[in-house]
Amino acid sequence: MERSYLGTWLALPVVGAVTALCIAPLAILLVYSFFQVNFVFILKDPTLENYARLAASDTYRNLITKAFVSGGLVAAITAVIGHPIAYHIAKRVTHYKSALLILLLVPLYTGDLVRIFAWRVLLGAEGVLNSFLIWAGVITEPIGALLFSSLATHIVLTYNFLPFMVLGLWLAYESLDDRLVEAASDLGAGRVSSFLRITFPLTLPGLIAGGMMVFVMVVGDYLTPQLVGGVSGITIVSAINDLFGTAFDWPLGSAIAWTMLAILCLFFTLAALVISRSTWGRALMGGE
Amino acid sequence: MTPAEQYAETEGGRSHRPLLTATGLHKNYGSVHAVRGVDFHLEANSYVTLLGPSGCGKTSILRMIGGFEDVSSGHLELNGDSLVNIPANQRPVNTVFQSYALFPHLSVEDNVAFGLAYKNLDRATINRKVASALTIMQMSEMAKRRPRQLSGGQEQRVALARAIVNEPKLLLLDEPLSALDRRMRKDMQIELKDLQRRLKMTFLHVTHDQEEAFALSDWLIVMNNGRIEQQGTPQEIYQCPATSYVADFIGGANRLPGRILESDNRLSTIETALGQFQASSVSGLTPDSGAVICWRPEQLHPARGGAIEVTVTHHVFRGAEWLIEAKAQDDTTLSFVVREDAVPEIGARIQLSFNPENAWIAADDSAEK
Amino acid sequence: MVNRIRRRTILKTAAAGAALGMFAPFKRAIAANDLVWMTWENLAKDEYLAAFLEKSDVSITKNFIGTDDEQFAKLRAGGASSVDLITPGLDKVEFYVASNLLQPIDFDKVPNAALLYDTFKNTDLGKKDGKTYGVPFYWGINPIVYRADLMDSEPDWSVFFEGDKYAGKLAMRDYALEGIMIAAMYLGIPRDRMFHMDDAELAEVKKALKAQKKLLRTYWNSIGDLTNLFATGEIVCAFSWVPPYYDLRARGLNMGMAKPKAGVIGWCDTIAVPASVEGEMRDVVFDFVNYLLGPEYGEKLAFGGPYAQSTSAIRDKLPEEQREKIFIQDLSIMDSFVWKENPPRYNDWVALWNEVKAS
Repeated sequence: MERSYLGTWLALPVVGAVTALCIAPLAILLVYSFFQVNFVFILKDPTLENYARLAASDTYRNLITKAFVSGGLVAAITAVIGHPIAYHIAKRVTHYKSALLILLLVPLYTGDLVRIFAWRVLLGAEGVLNSFLIWAGVITEPIGALLFSSLATHIVLTYNFLPFMVLGLWLAYESLDDRLVEAASDLGAGRVSSFLRITFPLTLPGLIAGGMMVFVMVVGDYLTPQLVGGVSGITIVSAINDLFGTAFDWPLGSAIAWTMLAILCLFFTLAALVISRSTWGRALMGGE
Repeated sequence: MTPAEQYAETEGGRSHRPLLTATGLHKNYGSVHAVRGVDFHLEANSYVTLLGPSGCGKTSILRMIGGFEDVSSGHLELNGDSLVNIPANQRPVNTVFQSYALFPHLSVEDNVAFGLAYKNLDRATINRKVASALTIMQMSEMAKRRPRQLSGGQEQRVALARAIVNEPKLLLLDEPLSALDRRMRKDMQIELKDLQRRLKMTFLHVTHDQEEAFALSDWLIVMNNGRIEQQGTPQEIYQCPATSYVADFIGGANRLPGRILESDNRLSTIETALGQFQASSVSGLTPDSGAVICWRPEQLHPARGGAIEVTVTHHVFRGAEWLIEAKAQDDTTLSFVVREDAVPEIGARIQLSFNPENAWIAADDSAEK
Repeated sequence: MVNRIRRRTILKTAAAGAALGMFAPFKRAIAANDLVWMTWENLAKDEYLAAFLEKSDVSITKNFIGTDDEQFAKLRAGGASSVDLITPGLDKVEFYVASNLLQPIDFDKVPNAALLYDTFKNTDLGKKDGKTYGVPFYWGINPIVYRADLMDSEPDWSVFFEGDKYAGKLAMRDYALEGIMIAAMYLGIPRDRMFHMDDAELAEVKKALKAQKKLLRTYWNSIGDLTNLFATGEIVCAFSWVPPYYDLRARGLNMGMAKPKAGVIGWCDTIAVPASVEGEMRDVVFDFVNYLLGPEYGEKLAFGGPYAQSTSAIRDKLPEEQREKIFIQDLSIMDSFVWKENPPRYNDWVALWNEVKAS
């Protein structure tokens, strides 16, 4: 009895810290989302007005949709690029494995801004790529759409978050039994079929882990779109930022933030549900 | 006549061309030579075992046939067609993997149906074939289960069903029984042999367990250090081991090294620490070459005036008979079998004799290694 | 052994540091003569402040801000008690006043305020009930900056709204207030209505801004970023601040600065004293405010910025060329500027701006 009490008491600071650091700010946001703002005064009469405004606004709805579409798109692109990389690191490399993994992570240490500006140098009108293409005679005028476009945003987002996808997939590939792939080819499966029927489903937990990380980070990134997205650079996050800072509309900002959070949670709950219901999910996670 | 030719002869008339031919087959991983140029045939509708200790190259051979490893040099032909450069998924060969390699995300029936997807069959045919394979392996009731819900023996059956459902010409089995307990292994041995006969496929079975090899094989290939030491029927290998190594590996034989005094291909005389003996011998021995004389425990028996004098050291009860261990004067341990009513006392000094026709002189290859 | 000693030393230092950190608020209370100034980095260069620090035994702690909104958010969130002087925009002072964050300027202690230009003396901004809460401090204009070598003629606001000669080579600041002011000026909406536009006018503005968006390369967020865009040839013309014009000319680019006849946006930052500042510190702060409006600081700013102070303290002593540079040669020009104000429907403006960007 005593020991269990002791445990409870010892756990208390941790619980307290988690509550204070994670839950409290979110709770405050939630409360604010039911308030109203008038000039610089927060009116504390609970109302659903902010959520109604959000529902009625094409702008915010479209921005939310755009954020989720971008998240899904970048997650998909990183998955396509990440699979061969992760496979290679896990299954083909033996001596330089840790070196490769570090190489993969190095860009993450350089900081967002450095990477974003490096891409500007690459993609700009007088940048490396355009200069090369003009030199090579492929084009006569620089391709403007390489930078300050949705394309540029997605290129840089893909580059920035690819390591997270690769890490997720790499772990999955490390635990993938090579003999299963051999067995598939033994039974007549070609490379593509073997990937689709064996490798893909068995590395799916890694894909989902990596995909969730990439998805959440893309949805939350406003710096990259702002700096390389040109006129398409507005995001729901920068709009929230505008509401909190420029417009001093904390309640509406909170309402949008909470709506995003709720959609994300719903999304992940659904994903978890689908995984746990699917046959392979049950097979991989055990139980039935 | 080589043993392989003899074998072809015994099977002759039914099949003129071997199912699989390996010629000068070689496999190296960098400077490591796993298989050092081996030649053998597999006849259709036979049960062949590749026997040898781990690292002897037997698994490499299996993987080259399966298409999972490239052939470094040499040839592999299946029904007269070269297998080199044919990818694994296009070879009419299936494998039962050592740890079964069942697909964990698929049910038993989906595992079994996996390979049929590549054969242009309609759904009904696939279902029928899967059901039939599961029935053969007595796994019909487990059809909806997933691999992790099966016991080792059940997984083994599913792995077999998954392979045989494709009706391969050649089924490769990589240590298929090693994960099973002893009792299950015995049962599975009988079943495997039975299965091979019923399906009329050729099974190539890799194992390090000589008992398993003897129980199953029509033809046995003993390997060591990347080379074939001897191939032949189990009886030949048991009774007439070509080398000291084979005699040792298949186990149980008493061996006594010495030098050949004279040899006429069928009968040789050997000089050992315990004296000179004459016995049947492997062909090709030359005077003064190293050799061993081997006796099976049941071929030695106590006899007054026998040629070998020993002191009894141990008794081992083996049911109807006892296995006796004894030491000769140069400390060589010899074992022999006696009936229950004739067990000598420990410490007793007795003489052993043997019939020269039953003893066997094999080449001593230990110097090579 | 060496390692162990090192480690212990480091641990001790760390512990001491942590302890000091904990006592930081107390430290402030003890050192009554340390003045905390929340301001823009370019206004608090050491050489600007040297003359003041020499004369008094006060030390100044600089607390840099990134945006005006950030400054307000910090003070609103309870940061006012740890700051002695802030630097809000003239158009933003009313936010602070409404939130009861400021105390009125004690002009008895700020004699230099008598030298304020009439425009700033007479403005209603920064005042409430006859009291001044934010005293104009320095000011400037936000003009059009362009690559004179790449454009045929001096542009005006219409370059951002019509024609496609420079399509894809223009940039606009990502800021609702100025973006909408410019659209209003382009549309010819009278200045007295500009900050009080009705729905119909706002709808027109929105239409114009949507047309503008098609012509832009990007919206810019920081002045360094804009300078970069000019330097790398991404854009030829932008609604800008003044510094890139001088920076890029210094780098050898042939830059032009245009002040459209339809109106140029004038801005002015104030200095304001948080309500909680009292006692001895209050005297120190007003003394410092007086310094900031005085000639020593004014001279430094006129050459260093180059920016104009809000008083005439140094004007007559500056060479004509420098006066021209900071727009105080002909003082009547100040009345042609459109000074930034806070529109009553500011939230609608922000929403409109976001709507345009998201369209």
